[in-house]
Amino acid sequence: MSLQTRKILDRTFSGAGLLAIAWLAAALLVLLAPMVVRGLRAVCFQGTIEHRRFLLEKFERGDRTEVEAEIRAAQAAREPAWRMLAEFDRQLAAGEASVRARYRAPLKDLRKHLQFLLGPEPGKPRPPLLRDQYGQTRMDLAQLGLERVLRREEWDYSNPAAGGVRESKPRAEDFAGTPLAALFPYVEQNLAAMMRPRRTFYWGFWTDESFDAHFFGGIWPEILGTFYLAIGTLLLAVPMGLVAAIYLTEYARESRFLAVLRTCNNTLAGVPSIVFGLFGLAFFINTAHVSPAKSVLAGSMTLALMILPTVIRASEEAIKAVPRTYREAALSLGAGRWHTVWSAVLPAALPGILTGIVISMGRAAGETAPIIFTAAVSVGRPLALWQTLAQPTPALSWNIYNLATEHEAVDLVRHVQYGLVLTLVGLVLLLNLAAILLRARIARRLRN
Amino acid sequence: MDGSAGRIRAAPSLLLSRGARRRQRLAADLGQLFLLGVTSLSALAVLAIFFFIARDAVPFFRLEGFREFFTSPRWYPSAAEPEFGALAIFAGSGLVTLGAALVAVPVGIAAAVCLSDVLPFAARQVVKPVVEMLAAIPSVAYGFFALVVLAPLLQRSGGTVLAAAAWIIGAPVAGLLAFILADLGADHAPEPLQKRIRLGLLLVLGGAAATGLWAASRALAGLEISSGTNTLNVSLVLGIMALPTVVSVSEDALQAVGRELREGSYALGATRAETTLRTVLPAARSGIAAAAILGVMRAVGETMVVWMASGNAAQIPSPWYNLLAPVRTLTATIAGDMGEADHVTGSARYHVLFAMALCLLVFSFVCNLASEWVLHRSCRKAGG
Repeated sequence: MSLQTRKILDRTFSGAGLLAIAWLAAALLVLLAPMVVRGLRAVCFQGTIEHRRFLLEKFERGDRTEVEAEIRAAQAAREPAWRMLAEFDRQLAAGEASVRARYRAPLKDLRKHLQFLLGPEPGKPRPPLLRDQYGQTRMDLAQLGLERVLRREEWDYSNPAAGGVRESKPRAEDFAGTPLAALFPYVEQNLAAMMRPRRTFYWGFWTDESFDAHFFGGIWPEILGTFYLAIGTLLLAVPMGLVAAIYLTEYARESRFLAVLRTCNNTLAGVPSIVFGLFGLAFFINTAHVSPAKSVLAGSMTLALMILPTVIRASEEAIKAVPRTYREAALSLGAGRWHTVWSAVLPAALPGILTGIVISMGRAAGETAPIIFTAAVSVGRPLALWQTLAQPTPALSWNIYNLATEHEAVDLVRHVQYGLVLTLVGLVLLLNLAAILLRARIARRLRN
Repeated sequence: MDGSAGRIRAAPSLLLSRGARRRQRLAADLGQLFLLGVTSLSALAVLAIFFFIARDAVPFFRLEGFREFFTSPRWYPSAAEPEFGALAIFAGSGLVTLGAALVAVPVGIAAAVCLSDVLPFAARQVVKPVVEMLAAIPSVAYGFFALVVLAPLLQRSGGTVLAAAAWIIGAPVAGLLAFILADLGADHAPEPLQKRIRLGLLLVLGGAAATGLWAASRALAGLEISSGTNTLNVSLVLGIMALPTVVSVSEDALQAVGRELREGSYALGATRAETTLRTVLPAARSGIAAAAILGVMRAVGETMVVWMASGNAAQIPSPWYNLLAPVRTLTATIAGDMGEADHVTGSARYHVLFAMALCLLVFSFVCNLASEWVLHRSCRKAGG
């Protein structure tokens, strides 16, 4: 091989490595960008008058006179639309039965979508579900509602080879020649007047309860549940992990038994998370009966078992990194073994141990599979501290799954899903950032 | 002797009575025993996990036997005549893991080599947090990404994306291959013709590669992806998830290869690439194998991504390497079916999930032992 080729090969080799690194960074960026951008839209968005009305009626938030004036203005803008609908109703009731039959289904569909956009028709009884009592609270969803009012989707099965083909038809065609045809241009042109969009910062997203399956309100129960689970896990795992690490580094002598212990520890670290979940169900709930059914306590125990190896390993590393001279100095001052560990080794190893704990806490907060069967429910109120012993809780991680796959209207709560993801990822990354900073401080101190 | 005894007697508070000494000894021993007890809890936990999973798995095998579970691809647990053939599910897990390994292992090793041998120290300090962040992001967030961002993208414009990916990956690789082959071919030619032969070979090979890539990308661009939640999607995302494990473990292995080996290789006139490929990588072989095993373990045991984005169809894709078909994995089956099986505790429907968990557990245990054995061997070799 010529020297030049070897040189080029060398360059491409380095290039391949750099490419791999670039791919890592790009993966992180591609992953985080939509989460951050769309997650922030859960908090900062174009809110409609319905959003402000909801806040006023539910929480007494906002300036009452101002919001009420706005509601009146919006109602005035909507009134012609509802009037057209009511007039058409009357006209049909007076007309022939065949005409009535022809318009019954399209009219019902139109009314449904108009109510989806604007909220209940004035003068009609209050619907039972909260989501039907209000129109769309966000302008992006209001646009979707407008689209549904203006156009109707249809599946065309006429060509069997292609299967169903989706077609979108203007709804105005259905009502061509009737007075109702004027409704569509009116709604389209006056959407802003009817919904009164305004830039909104809804900080309550993080502190409000959710209402009606996350159609309204915030994610406070999930945040609180994740917090309980993470703290409970730490309370259980850290003492055990710390004691084990102290024993392994300071007391144990190399032996076959120790090798077995280490293998067990590694095995525990490698057990798939879903198996932990099954074990939690089979042992903590069905056998040990720590709680009658799913509960935060059972979930914390399961998670604690899962992060135990990580805590042990991190603490071990931190304790091993304490220089020998610390121990020798303490021993030469007459301290016993335990006293040495307690007063000289542990304080020196503390930052390193904390780093490991913080990272494990992030892991406990983000894990989903172990809590599916042991702690998580989809909908729930925020728990009081004493309720965590016997009651399940919503949690950020589980609710991301649940809202993204099992919710009845997945597309309508997309912003909540992104908000949950942003909150969880932000929480975990902040914890990791804290760990990185902590470690940098240790490194600096060790260098001095 | 006498003098020292006298001095000790002069400070009696330092000398413990026999009883006190015994008490202290006892306390120390008891304390140590307590520490040992707490430490063995993790060992006990492993045993307990094996025991409780096996205890609920055994009834399934007693009820239904082994044969159907491991050999039949028919998975109809809730039919009137339930069938519990898990072969398709095993195949799904295997396929997804294979895909993830194909993504994670090459990229991970390349990144680890770059981190340990190419990048300067300062750049490494920047890259390491990126790897750590990738490791820290919760699996459900990855799953959400796969389901909400990647799956619609693949479904809408999958052909274009695949064709672009083929060019991005294929063009550099093919160019490099053409270059090397042209050089090797020209090596045997007589001296005066070498340059011309090399150029000619390069043009021919490069043209062939470009034509091949063009044809491949045309074929890919015409591809219709019926569902974005498929093996390809999950493999990509799982591969990214497993990357940090592979990178950090193999980087440790590369770092453990001493400076002397590298310097020896450089002194013999090798380039950095040759040093790494011929000297460092073979020396770190076992550590890298362990990294690959751990990465594979991570992919097999992952639940949320596959549950959300694999399509959950219990079928063996045809042909088996069809990455665009939806599959179902062991972990997703456990997570998804437990909700329905929960209230029929005691039936085969419930116990079959534990049987699957037992298979996962045994697999991860074996993988762990293998990686430990490999690492242990490398340690001993490095030591001796």
